[in-house]
Amino acid sequence: MWRVAVAGDRALLVTLGETIDPSLLGLVLALDRALSDQRPAGLVSSVPAYASLLCRYDPAITDVTRLEDVIRQFEGRLDAAIPAGLVTEVPTQYDGPDLEAVAHKTNLTPADVIDAHASREYLVYCIGFAPGFTYCGTLPDELVVPRLASPRVRVPTGSVAIAGRQTGIYALASPGGWNLIGRTDLRLFEAGATPPVRFKPGDRIRFVPNR
Amino acid sequence: MIEVVDPGRYTSIQDRGRPGFERFGIPPGGAVDWFAASVANHLVGNEPDAALIEATTSGPTLRFQSEATIAVTGGHCPDAGFPSWRAHRVDAGFALDLGRVSPGLRSYIAVRGGIEVPLVLGSRSLCAIGAFGGGVGRPLQKGDRLAIGATVSSPAVSEQWPESHRLPIRGPWEVHVVPGPHPDAFDPSAFQRLSATACLVTPALDRMGMRLDTPGLRLDATEILTTPMTAGAIQVTPSGGLIALLADHPTTGGYPVIASVITADLPLLGQARPGDTVRFRDVGLAEAARLWRRLSGWLDLSA
Repeated sequence: MWRVAVAGDRALLVTLGETIDPSLLGLVLALDRALSDQRPAGLVSSVPAYASLLCRYDPAITDVTRLEDVIRQFEGRLDAAIPAGLVTEVPTQYDGPDLEAVAHKTNLTPADVIDAHASREYLVYCIGFAPGFTYCGTLPDELVVPRLASPRVRVPTGSVAIAGRQTGIYALASPGGWNLIGRTDLRLFEAGATPPVRFKPGDRIRFVPNR
Repeated sequence: MIEVVDPGRYTSIQDRGRPGFERFGIPPGGAVDWFAASVANHLVGNEPDAALIEATTSGPTLRFQSEATIAVTGGHCPDAGFPSWRAHRVDAGFALDLGRVSPGLRSYIAVRGGIEVPLVLGSRSLCAIGAFGGGVGRPLQKGDRLAIGATVSSPAVSEQWPESHRLPIRGPWEVHVVPGPHPDAFDPSAFQRLSATACLVTPALDRMGMRLDTPGLRLDATEILTTPMTAGAIQVTPSGGLIALLADHPTTGGYPVIASVITADLPLLGQARPGDTVRFRDVGLAEAARLWRRLSGWLDLSA
């Protein structure tokens, strides 16, 4: 059962589940598409993330009851499959300041960490936190390490990082608490571009070590 | 042209923001005290989406190189030597030294015609974390020169904006919220206990959000899977403290949200100073809509 909850006086948060799961992301993206196709009156914009969708509305045009009815009509009727797309290669220099520490924590060599990280295809689950920040999953079990005990004040642009079962790319310099294992020159955010970001949820990527 | 002689503590170009780009990780931005900013634009006869200057804690010194019509609203500026909440004609060469902001935290300087900087993703607001917008992609610095635009819609207003149509500018604050959207992350009495607590504003605040302590109250929250966030969301951190999100908030977050400040009361959060106390009170959506109509009515009435 989806949970539809009030998120302030201008948005509803639809929660479809509580886990990082491709089929939940698939449902979120399908709901997002269905709503943008139907264009219900008063729905202003939506924001997908992992297993939830924020729906912003104009309270002068609609209300939570009407909007929830619109959302609920799709419950149980959506296809969770994520359309297959190309896999984008992310050229990565694995020289991050936390690579050694991650190797130590995981009882691997730095070369093993690199091999494990670059060994699989990842699904983009969310663009969030800061402009273009790309959340991907999920990591192989042997690479699961916690966040840093105290976040860095400034993580450089293009940093490739891991935390828990996730890997991510800092599109811009920002504060951050993930373990930095590498960096990419691929530009993920450009304010003047349409769209301004390189990736969207549902995209597939692979990290390719620079030789 | 306006020359920035001294930028003050943290001064940026803002307008009504760029909502709608959150799916790209881009915060909505815009003036934190949207009401004071709207009044400032109204007083000088600007279009509602004209860009203006937001000053924080300690304002800038600006030299006007040509004559201009300006208005200052929002947080009180006792040293500016300049009556606020009304439009003034200033001569070429005039220097505005805004000085400290208190009570209140953020003041707005509107210039007839608006501050002319390029639109980026539909807005002239600075997005500091993205290093774009606001003309220079950063807060203002000494030596910056700001052009004046032509986004006017009506003559400047000759009367002072009535005190009866302003929001409180000093604490203790009562801020209206609607509970949620993560009630399941808390025990059932959590919101009631929060609303009985005088929360304390800490110095850890910026345009992204503000940390508040909850003296005598320990809220336990279960972690949630990262979800989208909104301005006004009151997150409960693992240490039990609160982070209330403001205009430049991270678009997603993993701390559960116990309640969300209503749009009409976001200006109050934006003016609360470190050391002030805040009580959160549940008003429900119907009252939230009424309070919004009250403020927008004030702005329309005198249009």
